[in-house]
Amino acid sequence: MDWLLLLEKGFWFGLAAVGFAILFNVPVRTLLSVFIMGALGGIIKNLLLQFEINVIIASFAGAVLIGFISISFAHNKHAPPPIFAIPAVIPMVPGIFAYRMMLGLISLAGNINQAAYSQVLSDTIHNGLKVMFILMSLATGVAIPMLITRKDSAKEIRFRKVKDNF
Amino acid sequence: MPDNQQNKDIKELGATLLEIAMLLMVSGASTGRIRNTIDRVSTSFSYTANMFISQRTIMLSMYNEENECIFNSLKRTSQHGINFTTLSGISRMSWSILEEKWTVKKINEELNRLCALPHYPRIVTLLLTGLAGAAFCRLAGGALLDMTVVFAGTMAGLFVKQEATKLNFNPYLCVYLAALTSSLIAGSLVKFNPGTDHEFAFATSVLFLIPGVPLINAFSDMIDGNLQNGLIRGMNGFIISFSIALGLLTSMATYHF
Repeated sequence: MDWLLLLEKGFWFGLAAVGFAILFNVPVRTLLSVFIMGALGGIIKNLLLQFEINVIIASFAGAVLIGFISISFAHNKHAPPPIFAIPAVIPMVPGIFAYRMMLGLISLAGNINQAAYSQVLSDTIHNGLKVMFILMSLATGVAIPMLITRKDSAKEIRFRKVKDNF
Repeated sequence: MPDNQQNKDIKELGATLLEIAMLLMVSGASTGRIRNTIDRVSTSFSYTANMFISQRTIMLSMYNEENECIFNSLKRTSQHGINFTTLSGISRMSWSILEEKWTVKKINEELNRLCALPHYPRIVTLLLTGLAGAAFCRLAGGALLDMTVVFAGTMAGLFVKQEATKLNFNPYLCVYLAALTSSLIAGSLVKFNPGTDHEFAFATSVLFLIPGVPLINAFSDMIDGNLQNGLIRGMNGFIISFSIALGLLTSMATYHF
């Protein structure tokens, strides 16, 4: 396993997350947290991918991690969790798969011979389903902490060990 | 005339609550968050607030402790523009209102302050979004040349989107124009440097446009049971994606590949 490559990927994930955070105009005090969360989520996703785990599950794991970190950052930096979580998961959106799905759909609509048709059709469905499931797992992943604690606001969630620190 | 004074206060509070809900909606909050925040604020004044929340209109009825309807009104939302600073400011404010028993006047002052908060300087937004585009390209497997071109393409695309928004074009058309600009710039690499595979640059140059907030909010609304709002937001995200694809398609047709 190439740790340096993994760290480099983490850096790029973090940078992409910060770019989106700026685009969404997050408060300045949250930028560093967004970078850290984006990087950690991306590292987990790539680590799992190296163990040949399905990209959908890997993305889900990254998003769950981001969801949990967003709760503790929300307490520290006094901002709602989605402000950290949404920019941080966006780098995991499967842009390349979405692009290939689109290409496939276009060639299916054009003039295409029967032999190529079934191959393109199966590729397109494969890519499209991946996009759909990855998007769903990202959205579910960041919501998991709120779902399992059954709270309406992150302010009511306290992790036992850090209870007295703030 | 104490009754008149009270009526005036209630009207002011109702207008403020609608303003808060509207600001949250246009800044990119999920439906559950809007409902919670309004509940929190109205509880602080010991009223019950019932709402109907949709993408373009918000309806609010307030009830007092005797369960009499004391306020009922609708408000249209302004144009949507994601702004997480507003979101975070209102969230903090709602807790202070509850804990420190703010007056309506103080809430309005704070709202005005939040709305006047500056955005990031335009050049910072452009540069960092460009870097984000380059990062996407690197993650997809692009080399340094691809990253540079994507950086330039993303910056130009975002610039076009900002200018088109200023000129009050249809929001989906703004996305289309931005996607077209970015992919034309990134596509030039594919066209004029055909030796190596530059598919990554072409595909990642438009990723800064992906409707992340509408899609994630759509899903969080759906699992919250706000199915109608979830569907509407999802549809919005879908149309934005479609506009991006259309932009890519146009530049592919332009370059003939």
